[in-house]
Amino acid sequence: MSDSKNDIVLEMTDIHKSFEKLEVLNGINLQVRKGEVVAIIGPSGGGKSTLLRCATTLERVDYGKIVIGGDVLCDTISGRLSYCDKKTEKEIRSKFGLVFQNFNLFPHFSVKRNITEALIHVHKKSKAEAETICNNLLMKMGLIEKADEYPCNLSGGQQQRVSIARALATNPEIIFFDEPTSALDPELTKGVLTVIKDLAKEKMTMVIVTHEMSFARDVADRIVFMDGGVIVEEGPAYDLVTNPQQQRTKEFLAGY
Amino acid sequence: MSKIKIVSLIFRFYISILRGTPLMLQLFLVYFGPYYLFKVNTGSIAIGPFNYRFIATIIAFSLNYAAYFAEIFRGGIQSMSKGQYEAATVLGFSKIQTYFKIILPQVVKRVLPSVSNEIITLVKDTSLAQVISVTEMFTRASAAASAQVSVVPFIAAGAFYYLTNLLIEAILNRVEKSMSYYS
Ligand SMILES: Nc1ncnc2c1ncn2[C@@H]1O[C@H](COP(=O)(O)OP(=O)(O)O)[C@@H](O)[C@H]1O
Ligand SMILES: [Mg+2]
Repeated sequence: MSDSKNDIVLEMTDIHKSFEKLEVLNGINLQVRKGEVVAIIGPSGGGKSTLLRCATTLERVDYGKIVIGGDVLCDTISGRLSYCDKKTEKEIRSKFGLVFQNFNLFPHFSVKRNITEALIHVHKKSKAEAETICNNLLMKMGLIEKADEYPCNLSGGQQQRVSIARALATNPEIIFFDEPTSALDPELTKGVLTVIKDLAKEKMTMVIVTHEMSFARDVADRIVFMDGGVIVEEGPAYDLVTNPQQQRTKEFLAGY
Repeated sequence: MSKIKIVSLIFRFYISILRGTPLMLQLFLVYFGPYYLFKVNTGSIAIGPFNYRFIATIIAFSLNYAAYFAEIFRGGIQSMSKGQYEAATVLGFSKIQTYFKIILPQVVKRVLPSVSNEIITLVKDTSLAQVISVTEMFTRASAAASAQVSVVPFIAAGAFYYLTNLLIEAILNRVEKSMSYYS
């Protein structure tokens, strides 16, 4: 893998973010190359979700720079933070997908419509085109027979796979996952993890917040350990899990 | 204070007043107010076959029930999870698309039972209009009753209200059922 600038899909530089007085992100630097799978681990409250929410436009940073797929979402020049215009932000939103812990499927839409709605009404694809994309994705997720079901009739694992399909439908350059299996019963997590593993094999660029250590070790290229709003340690997945350097990382991993 | 905050305060004040005072008082105000406050000769106001009494009834009921329905919808919109907005946002839906495609259809389903209740109360409340003697069902019934010295007109009026509400309930049940394809 080359280190050329064009290969970088996500670039977050010196990100700061507070809620009221609470400093949640305290100078985060994160770069993700094309085809790379990065797992973010760390104790609850460490700022993992906030980091993903800042990258996915759901939260505004206080300081720093974010570049996604070559578009600048925000930048801080001589201490002044500025965000891109609405048009660029919309463009950026078409470059990433986000998978939530609790799915957030649209309950009043069928599985098919959950996946095709944005394709048709945001990306202006024809209905036929959108349905072809949808069917291919559902096939991949092993859910083709559920196309006309409503989310409430699916198991949690199936719902999460639908939401992954929804995030993939617009062909994003990068997908963010925020604890995709944390809301699932243990026996349902496997199907979801398998789907993500398959995406990794296809060289999909992904950032995954997870508590599944063995999954992170086996699937991610790189693991980032976050605590207290900073990146405490990062490195090749296998090395970080088997041979952590920092005391805090060791203590955290000892709990698994 | 932002413009939105001012508008929101005005609406909250409106809703609180309309829900916190008797409908009968509001009827009086709309009917007698223009004359006592501004010396408007409401007797000469008419829209087609409808005199001012009728118009005043419609205005008062609309203002009053608008407040109740607004409150129901406000509650429904607030009950939507943040996740629905966020999922729509990251998929690229505009604010308007999010509202009309994602939020509103779910809110309608959620508030339908409360809306049904309000509509049925509304039908029954129309009997209040007799205080400004719109020739309304109950007024007609009592006129007929005193003329005929009989309770039959009252029973007939009651039956008419009941049947009207049965019909409305049947229609609303249909609508509710048509939305029960998801939970
Ligand atoms: N919208 C918010 N308002 C106030 N505090 C928040 C908000 N979102 C998160 N926080 C706080 O920020 C900290 C980090 O939260 P989060 O990013 O969710 O951590 P993680 O995902 O690592 O568990 C927590 O202390 C949390 O309470
Ligand atoms: Mg979290």
